[in-house]
Amino acid sequence: MKETILSVGIDIGTSTTQLIFSRLTIENLASSYMVPRIRIVDKEVTYRSEIYFTPLLSQTEIDAEKVKGIIEREYRKAGMKPEDLQTGAVIITGETARKQNANSVLASLSSMAGDFVVATAGPDLESVLSAKGAGADRISEEKRIAVANIDIGGGTSNIALFQKGSLKGTSCLDIGGRLIKVEHGRISYIYPKIQKLAERHGIRIAVGDRADESTLYRVCEHMADQLAMAVHVMEPDELHEGLYTNDGRPLTAEPKAAGLTYSGGVASCYYNGEPGNVFEYGDVGVLLARAVKNNAALKTITTYPAAETIRATVVGAGTHTTNVSGSTISYTSGKLPIKNIPVLKISEEEEQEPAMFRDAIRRKLKLYEGENGLEQVAIVFSGKYHTTFAQLQELSRTIAEGADEVIAGPHPLILVIENDIAKALGNALNVLLMRKKDIICIDGIFANDGDYIDIGEPVAQGRVVPVVTKTLIFNT
Amino acid sequence: MALVSEKDLRDIIAQVLTEMNVGQDGGSAASSGSAAKADCQTTIEDGCWDDVAAVDLRTQYLVENPVNRDAYYDLKQYAPCRLGIGKAGARYKTLPVLEFRAAHSAAQDAVFSDVDQDFVDKMGLFTVQTKCDCKDTYLTRPDLGRVLSDEAVATIKEKCKKNPKVQIYVSDGLSSAAIAANVGDVLPAIEQGLKSYGIDYGTPFFLKYGRVGAMDQVSEITGAEVTCVLIGERPGLITAESMSAYLAYKATVGMPEARRTVVSNIHKDGTIPTEAGAHIADIIKKILDAKASGTDLKL
Amino acid sequence: MILKTKLFGKVYEFKSLREVMAKANEEKSGDKLAGIAAESAEERVAAKVVLSHITLQDLRNNPAVPYEEDEVTRIIQDGVNETICNEHKNKTVAEFREWLLDEGTTSDMIRRASRGLTSEMVAAVCKLMTNLDLIYAARKMRVSAHCNTTIGLPGTFSSRLQPNHTTDDPKGIMASVMEGLSLGCGDAVIGLNPVDDSVESVARILRSFDEFKNKWEVPTQICVLAHVTTQMEAMDKLGAPIDLMFQSIAGSQKGNEAFGLTASMLDEGRDMMLHKATSTGPNVMYFETGQGSELSSDAHNGWDQVTMEARCYGFAKRYQPFLINTVVGFIGPEYLYDSKQVIRAGLEDHFMGKLTGVPMGCDACYTNHMKADQNDIENLATLLVAAGCNYIMGVPQGDDCMLMYQCTGYHEAASLREIFGLRPIREFDQWLEKMGFSENGKLTPLAGDASVFMK
Repeated sequence: MKETILSVGIDIGTSTTQLIFSRLTIENLASSYMVPRIRIVDKEVTYRSEIYFTPLLSQTEIDAEKVKGIIEREYRKAGMKPEDLQTGAVIITGETARKQNANSVLASLSSMAGDFVVATAGPDLESVLSAKGAGADRISEEKRIAVANIDIGGGTSNIALFQKGSLKGTSCLDIGGRLIKVEHGRISYIYPKIQKLAERHGIRIAVGDRADESTLYRVCEHMADQLAMAVHVMEPDELHEGLYTNDGRPLTAEPKAAGLTYSGGVASCYYNGEPGNVFEYGDVGVLLARAVKNNAALKTITTYPAAETIRATVVGAGTHTTNVSGSTISYTSGKLPIKNIPVLKISEEEEQEPAMFRDAIRRKLKLYEGENGLEQVAIVFSGKYHTTFAQLQELSRTIAEGADEVIAGPHPLILVIENDIAKALGNALNVLLMRKKDIICIDGIFANDGDYIDIGEPVAQGRVVPVVTKTLIFNT
Repeated sequence: MALVSEKDLRDIIAQVLTEMNVGQDGGSAASSGSAAKADCQTTIEDGCWDDVAAVDLRTQYLVENPVNRDAYYDLKQYAPCRLGIGKAGARYKTLPVLEFRAAHSAAQDAVFSDVDQDFVDKMGLFTVQTKCDCKDTYLTRPDLGRVLSDEAVATIKEKCKKNPKVQIYVSDGLSSAAIAANVGDVLPAIEQGLKSYGIDYGTPFFLKYGRVGAMDQVSEITGAEVTCVLIGERPGLITAESMSAYLAYKATVGMPEARRTVVSNIHKDGTIPTEAGAHIADIIKKILDAKASGTDLKL
Repeated sequence: MILKTKLFGKVYEFKSLREVMAKANEEKSGDKLAGIAAESAEERVAAKVVLSHITLQDLRNNPAVPYEEDEVTRIIQDGVNETICNEHKNKTVAEFREWLLDEGTTSDMIRRASRGLTSEMVAAVCKLMTNLDLIYAARKMRVSAHCNTTIGLPGTFSSRLQPNHTTDDPKGIMASVMEGLSLGCGDAVIGLNPVDDSVESVARILRSFDEFKNKWEVPTQICVLAHVTTQMEAMDKLGAPIDLMFQSIAGSQKGNEAFGLTASMLDEGRDMMLHKATSTGPNVMYFETGQGSELSSDAHNGWDQVTMEARCYGFAKRYQPFLINTVVGFIGPEYLYDSKQVIRAGLEDHFMGKLTGVPMGCDACYTNHMKADQNDIENLATLLVAAGCNYIMGVPQGDDCMLMYQCTGYHEAASLREIFGLRPIREFDQWLEKMGFSENGKLTPLAGDASVFMK
């Protein structure tokens, strides 16, 4: 039994806007006499849009109408309708994510981007998505080493480190090809942190100056050094810490990357060579690519070809955000999809003691009380400590007590569990609550405090639901 | 900077310990003066060896000085079998031999011993038997394991609810250990699932020395729409506790095997018993809705 | 044909040759289950006495299933070389037994005689043999075959690497392949019993075997033990690389039908192998059998399981297999009750296969509901090597986590080779030396380190 679900990825970045459609194949890998085990077995990008410059109204405002026009045109070209899609992600990334009108842009798109398309952004997620799009996770798994992907975009460089296929860390620096812009042979924009970096090294540049290739290349060399510091092949200088986006954190020193991939617009110059005119794109992206390529410290790490370069983030968004739940779950039909649900995480310590579990739910629910009552939340826990029938009955009582406010409220009771107990727990709660409450109880999903999740409409004859876990939306 | 690796550290500690022991041995040998005398003084000490049956085969890696330890260790995580076990000459090391024998002993005990009657009684199940008079007959005469004794027929007729929507019963099959390990969770989880769907069910019982095919006769006697037997699977060495559920819609004696729906691999490291029970309840509902089971029912 | 004898003064009269054949068998729970076994130890001996006087011609005239009704019978009977048959047909079973054991009877003479025998003759003489007779006679007979390499040559002993996995996980399977090879296992074939026998999955596993075999230049054969039609589709539609085509077979047409099999399917499969397979050949087929399978599908026609098993080999011979093995203890205690019966059956099957003229191996194994353990299976494996068996199985420590039974482990072939002074197939032996896993036929300290392949 194979089934396909269609996914869209839309990336509205600092410099470019792109879209892809992909097809995810799900299959029951268990034999017919076993409990089903449904997994995503294949991911294929079926349509890649052109790459557009992100339309801006001003330096700080995205032109929502024009973005919408681009997306609509690409849907038509691909012959795709919003209702054809079961999952996907729109992300506003990089510097653009800090733009004031990001929310209104997302709102203008949500109506036509499919019923289950979600809006998400944030540098950590972008790092992970671009690395997956570039294939760093796969290379690290196959080669059994740690591989970092550096996605060098217009405004930021997003780094994600994978070891043997699993994520070990992310970071994001204000290093990018469009942090210095060039128009008509003159410098038209310098990002303040880059200005400071240049000054620190005694390079004087100012808006309005003639764009001198060798001077700007020297600035780019220092930008490349900052990337080398970020992957721990160079000792950090005193400016390094300040270059992390939004005062973010650097990667931990261990594990150290033994392999590198590059993605983002700058990376396509890295792998494919420079255009004739270095300022062809009106920025220093080409020079930055050259500086990265020539950087002695970065050269000490093996560089692998990236599966995607300029499209890595959008491919990551379209094909790597969706998981499927466990195959024995419990939900009230008609209540899905649900989107952007904040995660209320119960720690493993709290899980083991009924009173602590109950109190933790109550305490944390208070954080989600707004003017219009309690927000919709997902209660998330491991489920490792309740597997026998008796334990699950106890757990259902604990949850019913702890979440009494949810049960009394208008929203469904949403439980997201790692261990395979969701159907049994759902049954226990349904019997306990005499089927008077809508319950969505799914497993096979890991999420943390601060994450948001989307649960899609059931697929595979209703046995599984697609789930998107989003880490740190608008990490500002 | 040269970091001391974990392995180096372990080696250093081992060396230090060895040296300490050498010192002690030297001392005691000098004081007692005779090794033979020391042997005579063997004392029984407090202590308890680790449980060889509790060793996780995936993390056990006994190959000495492998050329690429981490890589093969990682790869072997994908296999549940006895890999990375090294050798002694062309034979096995002692620990894996003991582990194997332990697993086989559990498998044999699961097959050749009976389900504890106290357990059956505690579950509130009454007990009936097939035409097999003992375990040996059961193992060599599968035909008799498919037929209820006359007494069993009478007891079921007397004690079981007539014409229930669902008749569930438990049977030892080839593993009594599977019954003891799983029924306590699976049975109530099925019943709770059925309750949550509002489906009523009959009186469960225990059938001793039963083969799967006995469910057809049970179905005919009780007049149930769906019959479900929870039965011990033939044990392997990885687990002796695996249980299956066989389900059929209006089963009749002599019907094709293809009319049975099966859920197998129910044990704590396979499908968690409670969750399996919830899943089985779901399948029962689907069978009732479709009025079909086995290959006639697309799940 | 006389079906009556006196024993201890008592007259035993049998109604048919079928009854004599069944009752002359050593004790087997399967014959009891079928209701055809001797009712006492004395009756068993009486049947043996009567059988000893039966001529091979009588056996030829009384096939287990009538010629008109059964394609297996037709294949066996039509395959007989009449000239050679005539040389032996007047021998009684007793005389034929002694001829086989005679010091003047050579391997070549027996090989020639094979072409004039039917399976019922083969089964009959087996029933008069003791275990040591079976070993002694089988030891004389060598049947070799060539696929990519040659199996069954004197001085060699081989093993099938069986890397079965509970979910067919490709990485888990390859982990097992690596460890098996590192212990000198797999010169007969690397062959997986798949959980998922879909064409795509079968093709996927064959490709990963082929890739590994080519990367490390392993001189052996690869196979995935799915149904013959599945393998044909994998080869034909998906271009899957196959060295050996597998099929389970039975000793009657009805038994084969229970496996979804006809003789013409095998004809077609072999023809496709000769035109499309990755192997050199000419022997490109691999069959598995086992006493009791005909009874389990009610396809034994009232005959005993030894005779039905002999007919499997007669049927197999038509397809000139590279490998054939009896999965001797897999079926369960209702057919072979305990280790004694399994050991007997293993020796019988090996002998009968060789006398039929097919290259024999044996999956010496037991299930956990049988009264047997690893010691018994090691005994059987040792006896089989003494009898000159071509190959045994190898799974990690003898525990097949997918089929949930136990057989011989990766270490067994190497141990037995060392004990009996045997080597793997020559090219494979050289490969083991090149890899550093063996030296002069003995495992090195590096053997068993599968991580060598992770470089």
